[in-house]
Amino acid sequence: MKFSLARGAIALAATLTLASCGGGKATFPINVNVTGVIYPGLVLSTNGQDLVINPPAKAGDPVNAVFPNEIEYGQTYDVIPKGQVSTSTAVVLGQNPKHQTCSPATEYPYNLPTYGTAGQLASIQIYYVCAINTYPLTGVVKGLTTDGLVLTNGSNGAISVAKAVDASSVATGADVAFAMNPVVYNNTYGVTVLTQPTGQTCTVANGVGTMDDAAEAAGGVTNLVVTCQ
Amino acid sequence: MKSSIKRAGVTLACALGLAACGGGDGDLYLTGTLYNVTADGMVLQNNGGDDLAIVAGQSDFQFGNRVSTDDQFNVTVKTPPNNSSGCTVQNGKARANYYTIAQISVICTIRTHTITVAVNGLKPTSSGLILVNGSDKQEVPAGATSQVMAPVYEDGPYGITIFQNPTDSATGTKQTCTVSGGDTGTGTGTVKSIDIDRTVVVTCV
Repeated sequence: MKFSLARGAIALAATLTLASCGGGKATFPINVNVTGVIYPGLVLSTNGQDLVINPPAKAGDPVNAVFPNEIEYGQTYDVIPKGQVSTSTAVVLGQNPKHQTCSPATEYPYNLPTYGTAGQLASIQIYYVCAINTYPLTGVVKGLTTDGLVLTNGSNGAISVAKAVDASSVATGADVAFAMNPVVYNNTYGVTVLTQPTGQTCTVANGVGTMDDAAEAAGGVTNLVVTCQ
Repeated sequence: MKSSIKRAGVTLACALGLAACGGGDGDLYLTGTLYNVTADGMVLQNNGGDDLAIVAGQSDFQFGNRVSTDDQFNVTVKTPPNNSSGCTVQNGKARANYYTIAQISVICTIRTHTITVAVNGLKPTSSGLILVNGSDKQEVPAGATSQVMAPVYEDGPYGITIFQNPTDSATGTKQTCTVSGGDTGTGTGTVKSIDIDRTVVVTCV
């Protein structure tokens, strides 16, 4: 016990001495590890430097890279997708891979801050994770006057749709908007009726397709029409 | 070293406290988090007893009997949910204190089943038929009489649709295919506890 205390003190003294005589590390490389990159387009940026992250040669591998210039002890860094701005009113995602969004890793032990001061830790290691974007799959139900309608997108999730009612809870048959679970970019969808509403029969139009580039550009697929009679 | 002395002290104090109050019903509720419980039938136990029934959709649990500080607890799964092949318990065995009684999680695995779609009338020269079940996309080879889709979760929905009709390369014309069968008669339904074998039918003309 006494010994271990003494050892700690010596180690501390040694560190202090080193720092005071300039023997410490002068500059720090900013190392980056990005997983999940499938498409090109990601540019990470900090301290006025840009780092282009391209998809790995072998799908699924992480991409390891280092910013071109090391930074000085005491300099702050904040690694973000280039151009990313987040204020209370607007979020600009910055230069992410096409069809993807990257964010700091959240899973232990990779959930380290992507910002800090050089010298806080022995080395600077940044972890980012990229996920494929999802887009809304929405539409409208026409003529629904009873309960029980359930729509499903294959095995990707079912939703119940309630009829429109007026102030005295009487069915009006007015159009009802609905949203299926968002669909991953480039995935297919196929929406069908899982349960028909009581006494009515509904059919789905525009229910099959792919969340492709056109759909992505349009911000999702919004033209599903379910007609009930 | 100092801390270990303190810990010993705490343990001793606890032991005395327990002895003083008889070590029976304590004041700590044994709680935890549940994952993938989508069906009834689950029963949890603590130390081989104190059965706790869990219903579909529950995301956390709390045993009825309280435990005392330093009591040994051991949470196990007596019966998994009806649609599960089994559950694993994490941090389920420890001595009770304010930290350990809230660190338990139970993660269940939902059984999956295969959907085999029967295909009728697809000509040996017709290619390009594509079936989808949501995000699962399968191209059916020319002349095939069945198509296996990706496995689906028990109790979950399915809905087979035609993504693309096939073209007959001999004549250059398209065949038109329709989906029938399943629970609804139109290729949609809920996955039961067995594989869905050719109850969904795609007919091409």
